[in-house]
Amino acid sequence: MLEKTVRTFTFIVTKDCQLACKYCYLVGKNDKERMSFNTAKAAIDYVLSDSYISSSHGIDFSFIGGEPFLEIELIDRICDYIKSELFWRNHHWFDNYVFSFSTNGINYNSKEVQNFIKKNYTHLSIGITIDGTKLKHDINRVWKDNPNKGSYDDVVKNIPLWLSQYPDEATKVTISSADLPYITESVLHLYSLGIHTVNINVVFEDVWKDGDDNLFENELIKLADAIIEGSYYMDYECSLFSDGIGKPLDPVNDNGNWCGSGHMLSVDAAGNFYPCTRFAAYSLREKKPVIIGNVRAGIDKNKLRPFLTLDRLTQSPQKCINCEVASGCAWCQGENYDAADTNTIYQRSTAICKMHKARVRANNYYWNKLFRKLELEGKREEFELNRPKNQNPIC
Amino acid sequence: MLKYLVILLDDSAVSYCHYESGKERKLISLEALKSAILFAMKENLNVHIVWPDYELPKDYKEIINGIDHINFADASFAHDADILVANPLDWDNIPEKSVVVVKTGIRDFIEKPEVFLPLLKRVARLNILFEDISVFKDEMVTGFSYALDFLTDAIIEQYKKQNKVQVNILTDRLILDQMNNCNAGDESVTLAPDGQFYVCPAFYFGGEKSVGNPNEGVHIKNSQLFRLDHAPICRNCDAYQCNRCVWLNKQQTLEVNTPGHEQCVICHLERNASKRMLDKIREIGEFLPGKEIPDIDYLDPFEKIEK
Repeated sequence: MLEKTVRTFTFIVTKDCQLACKYCYLVGKNDKERMSFNTAKAAIDYVLSDSYISSSHGIDFSFIGGEPFLEIELIDRICDYIKSELFWRNHHWFDNYVFSFSTNGINYNSKEVQNFIKKNYTHLSIGITIDGTKLKHDINRVWKDNPNKGSYDDVVKNIPLWLSQYPDEATKVTISSADLPYITESVLHLYSLGIHTVNINVVFEDVWKDGDDNLFENELIKLADAIIEGSYYMDYECSLFSDGIGKPLDPVNDNGNWCGSGHMLSVDAAGNFYPCTRFAAYSLREKKPVIIGNVRAGIDKNKLRPFLTLDRLTQSPQKCINCEVASGCAWCQGENYDAADTNTIYQRSTAICKMHKARVRANNYYWNKLFRKLELEGKREEFELNRPKNQNPIC
Repeated sequence: MLKYLVILLDDSAVSYCHYESGKERKLISLEALKSAILFAMKENLNVHIVWPDYELPKDYKEIINGIDHINFADASFAHDADILVANPLDWDNIPEKSVVVVKTGIRDFIEKPEVFLPLLKRVARLNILFEDISVFKDEMVTGFSYALDFLTDAIIEQYKKQNKVQVNILTDRLILDQMNNCNAGDESVTLAPDGQFYVCPAFYFGGEKSVGNPNEGVHIKNSQLFRLDHAPICRNCDAYQCNRCVWLNKQQTLEVNTPGHEQCVICHLERNASKRMLDKIREIGEFLPGKEIPDIDYLDPFEKIEK
């Protein structure tokens, strides 16, 4: 049956951030729109009382900004309220929830954040974004009040503490055109910091220049050589290489939507609900926000229907449907909407097409080379039994 | 493929569907009308003319009569139109065997289905159009079904008298084997009094962008979304009589290819009532042999879509 339920509920607690990353899709960041506790409380009350919305087995309460840890006191209060309500309502999410964060890591060692972590340790998932080497990281991840200053030093100092608390956590790396020459050294650098899983995606926006695909392919082949020759493949993971990508997709059996929008409801400081954060005004360059309700009136479930019935074929142009290397080619519903010719989520953006194809060629190289090496060493079976699981998240 | 061109002669032209006409008169220019007729001729389009409730200059009529067309008009103004839009005040004056559109509210239909009985006796076809679909609530299912069954019995009484009256929401499904939707934006466009094409009159009055004009042709962006094969909920649905109104879709779900819950439930209640009608008629005698409307366990096909 159709998975109607919400799997993630995101609080956009602030639209402020200490950084002004050059590739950030949040075009409307500001320090004015901070969520009040009363708004958060009303959102929680609605979500927990609506049987349609809260029918999933478990829930990820996600906190996003801007930088969410700028509002750690509010977040602490929200989480306390969620926990108490789950208990008093005897809700099926009690003990089946996670509080997740994607942070720039700058405040990670603060007393307030650390107290929060101690209080909620077993229910937390915290990802710190670090883009790689200091050079690569500081190209894009610069301070808002000093765009000439990168943030690498302010983040990397907290990585050991983070990994000591969450050794299996991954970092998420976003690649734009300027970053292409630094991918290999960045991934190896992140491995050297002790981060075992590096999730990487290219930006979905139409920013790619002529020749970027060749640069990307060459850089990934360099990375493939480094991972294989350094035998990192046994203990480390890089989402760019996955043996499931680059295959044709069956029109019937592989017709699902890639993106989770619609299952990832969000609420902002004004109390408006969105299908995911990417449909809030601060995320959109060209289009109006897609508001599907608010904390007072609840969610208009009719406005969720297009998201919950989206499939690959209906939104894809013919070149994608016919594509011989379609598997693993991602899309973001919010970017699709923002880039579409009309106000629709049913027009897939193909801005990353040539980058995906470049990735596929390098990926084929990686697996051919790795499997040949493993065969020659008699370790193929051992690898298959112990290989890291690829999580490959794209949002 | 485009098959129909609807021409609104005036902003105040009669509304025959899910929109309200303009309050003020704004007559289409003669030049725009000529261009539209020429466009229809060259593109082999069937023309539907939607009339206001006042006399048009003679030269307008001459241009309109230069092409085969179907006239839509308010029943209080023009009794000789092919399709009359009527309200109860007009009903005594409607000619026998007319094709009539009646716009009604959901609650009125549930509470007073007997209002339609006089029409069943005299018209060839009655199109009932619910103008406030969004007010439908799931708790109205029973009442709505009762009203449909009341009309069903009345229609069967007419059949017994050899009066084979058609009522869109009940008899269309009996004979359809595939979707018979409005298909605005796919098979039809509307020329508005401003001389521009729109997906349908509702898109014009709703302030949407035009999709071309007779000189430049029809250019609908993402036009595939108006086709049935790009409507995930509808393409496997068998409520074939549904209008699949793309304007209502856009209003309710923000997407032209996705119907709201209310539109789906109403059309499935109609579909199921058609099935009951088929069974009742067959108690009297043989009727549409081989025709079956299967039992289903849902009222909203959204529920059965598998991911």
